[in-house]
Amino acid sequence: MVAEPSERAREFETQDLLLNVGPQHPSTHGVFRMVLSVDGEVVKDVIPYIGYLHRGAEKLCETMDYRQGIGFMDRTEYLAAFNAELSYLMAVETLAELEVPERAQWIRMILCELNRLSSHFMFLGAFGIDVGVFATPFIYAWREREALIDLFEEISGDRMMYAYFRPGGLAWDVPQNFKQRVEEVLKSSEQGIKDFDGLLTNDEIFRARTQGVGVISAADAIDYGMSGPSIRASGVPLDVRRDEPYLKYDEVEWDVITGSNGDVFDRYYCRLLEMRESVKIVRQCLERMADTGPIMPEKMPRMLRTPPGEVYIRTEAPRGEYGIYLVSKGGNRPYRLKVRSACLSNLQALRDMSVGQYVADAIIVLGSIDIVLSEVDR
Amino acid sequence: MAVTPHTAAPGATDTPQVATATTETEIPSTPPVTDPGPGPAEQPLPVVPGEHPNEAPRLTPVQFTPGKALYKQILPGVMQVPLDLVLAASRKSSLWPMTFGLACCAIEMIGTYMAHYDLDRFGIVPWPSPRQSDVMIVAGTVTKKMAPAVKLLYEQMPNPKWVISMGACATNGGPYTRYDRVLQGVDKIIPVDVYVPGCPPRPEALIDSFLALQAKIMEERKTTGG
Amino acid sequence: MTNDTPDTTGAANGDAAVAAPDLSATIWPEVDRALSGITATAEKAVLDVIVFIPRDEIIDGLRRLKNDETLAFDYLRSLTAVDQEEAGMEVVYHLYSTTRRHNLTVKVALDNDDLTIDTATVVWKAANWLERETAEMFGIRFNDHPDPRTLLMPEDMADTFPLRKSHPLQEIEILQGEGMGYGEEGPA
Repeated sequence: MVAEPSERAREFETQDLLLNVGPQHPSTHGVFRMVLSVDGEVVKDVIPYIGYLHRGAEKLCETMDYRQGIGFMDRTEYLAAFNAELSYLMAVETLAELEVPERAQWIRMILCELNRLSSHFMFLGAFGIDVGVFATPFIYAWREREALIDLFEEISGDRMMYAYFRPGGLAWDVPQNFKQRVEEVLKSSEQGIKDFDGLLTNDEIFRARTQGVGVISAADAIDYGMSGPSIRASGVPLDVRRDEPYLKYDEVEWDVITGSNGDVFDRYYCRLLEMRESVKIVRQCLERMADTGPIMPEKMPRMLRTPPGEVYIRTEAPRGEYGIYLVSKGGNRPYRLKVRSACLSNLQALRDMSVGQYVADAIIVLGSIDIVLSEVDR
Repeated sequence: MAVTPHTAAPGATDTPQVATATTETEIPSTPPVTDPGPGPAEQPLPVVPGEHPNEAPRLTPVQFTPGKALYKQILPGVMQVPLDLVLAASRKSSLWPMTFGLACCAIEMIGTYMAHYDLDRFGIVPWPSPRQSDVMIVAGTVTKKMAPAVKLLYEQMPNPKWVISMGACATNGGPYTRYDRVLQGVDKIIPVDVYVPGCPPRPEALIDSFLALQAKIMEERKTTGG
Repeated sequence: MTNDTPDTTGAANGDAAVAAPDLSATIWPEVDRALSGITATAEKAVLDVIVFIPRDEIIDGLRRLKNDETLAFDYLRSLTAVDQEEAGMEVVYHLYSTTRRHNLTVKVALDNDDLTIDTATVVWKAANWLERETAEMFGIRFNDHPDPRTLLMPEDMADTFPLRKSHPLQEIEILQGEGMGYGEEGPA
């Protein structure tokens, strides 16, 4: 959507305007700042500034043992905390050679997929605000999120920072009515997904605003190291759950959703369809999960120590590939913990996606990448 | 001012009253004038002597009771209250926070605005612009890179303004306090009125902090804030 | 079962970095062939194979790994550094192939008195921001980087490097009078 300057317009000499967006702005993305260089209304250049939420999780985790680090991983990706905890603990368990019991694996899988649902609901709400449908999707999104968060609170005790997974399994067992509660939550989430689908997907104005906007090609996306729904919308079928399965993803049936155009609409629609896949996965897990069973291995040391070594574990968080690179030199603390953040790599492509669009489209492109600043800045 | 300039109608008495200055005349018991006969539902209008008979009366005469507050009897809709009470009550009932979510506490703050924990019933409407808002909720960790922006936004808010420091990070740095790029509490750069503990605080805790802020506003009753 | 990712490793797992394990069933033979002419040594880690390439040949090696047909490492997953204190620093690259679905870890050792290395943005665009972050956290200079600004640090605090082991944590000030708050050692 590049505006061609006409002959008469060329006679005018105009200067490009530097427009500062952020770090405080009405959208909900957090403290992100970008400086747009605009010519009229067309964006010529985007310079993102990040680091306003750099809190040093990597450095502080070097002083914490493996159980204290779980709380930091929660706060690194606060909308998908179970996925973040899972990555970290899988790295610890791989180094320490702990075997997670099967029931704990199913429960972890269910909770991670439900967390994906709640994170995508938040995306739908915030994206609706960016596109211009100001309050309706946001309140619908929170209605569904409250149902999910109530369930998480019953299980783990907290609405957002769960700290429920432990090295080897779970902290405590799930309540007795777990399966029935999850089924209720799934029903209400399905209705919520249907509501959003009906509200946004076939809406003419929404489509006109989002189709063809913010396109990134598959080759560029791979080169930038993008991941998650942002790269799947460009047609690259990259999903860690299928390519390098962890937990029990290779034992349940589900599809990888890929788009074709790589524009904003495809990124939105990939996430919506992914939510339906998540519901499918959780239903299959509920059937296969045992009602009783151990959730931690029998012999757990009092203070977990890992042998020297290093490992890089990746999982599919709702925003992309969340990787943990853990270097241990023995002892009960990491020597170096690196969080490979999906949002940082996705955000690198912002410039390529926004140049040549209008200012309002640049805002939508930022919204469609679905960033969480504490993961970008750590 | 008893009567109008033209001739006094018969029967008008200008009875001197105890206090003063207002119109009190007895209603004379004259029969209604020039009336073909009132309909069954109609009442004849009392005619104030001195007025033209076809005009409607402008003031309903009142019975004045001496010894009671005059304005309450004449203008019963008027209330007399101290000005600072009114200002404080109206300020506390319509606090507009600036949407300033920095980190994870922002999600709980948003959840408190939403339909489940509704802050709108307290008159609290989130407003993006600092120049039109009353309260700044600092929700999340303030890093040293962000600190100048926080101070600038605080100074852009007009008086009276208040600050709620939400969460452990804004109070004293929280779990990230040992990292040297993190500001150990937002009260190092701006004055804070209410601190909310928690990581993140529950929506009920945030509602409680607003109620505490309202109590504080009523208690202080300053006409300027800050 | 451990949460193991299926890799092309046939070697025994759990043999973390023991002297001279058998790497013939892993991806190492193809890597060795692709990196012929470059002095590369390998080590077996818990899941991946780690290849050590000297600093002067790193860009050549990475380019070959990307362009080779059987390896096709077109995806740079992560680029970071590890501070090994007296032994110097190591820059670590994690590579992945979207078509062949295998992984590799590449490490370059740097000495403490010469922390410079060539930039990998000529090979993958993803290295741009990752190198900026590594540079400001550790003080490593990437030669010919197209945009050597700080990424996460405030501009006026770019002279100290937080992730080095020699960099201390911040002390907690005692806020509310004597005897309250934490003392010197903090809550850790």
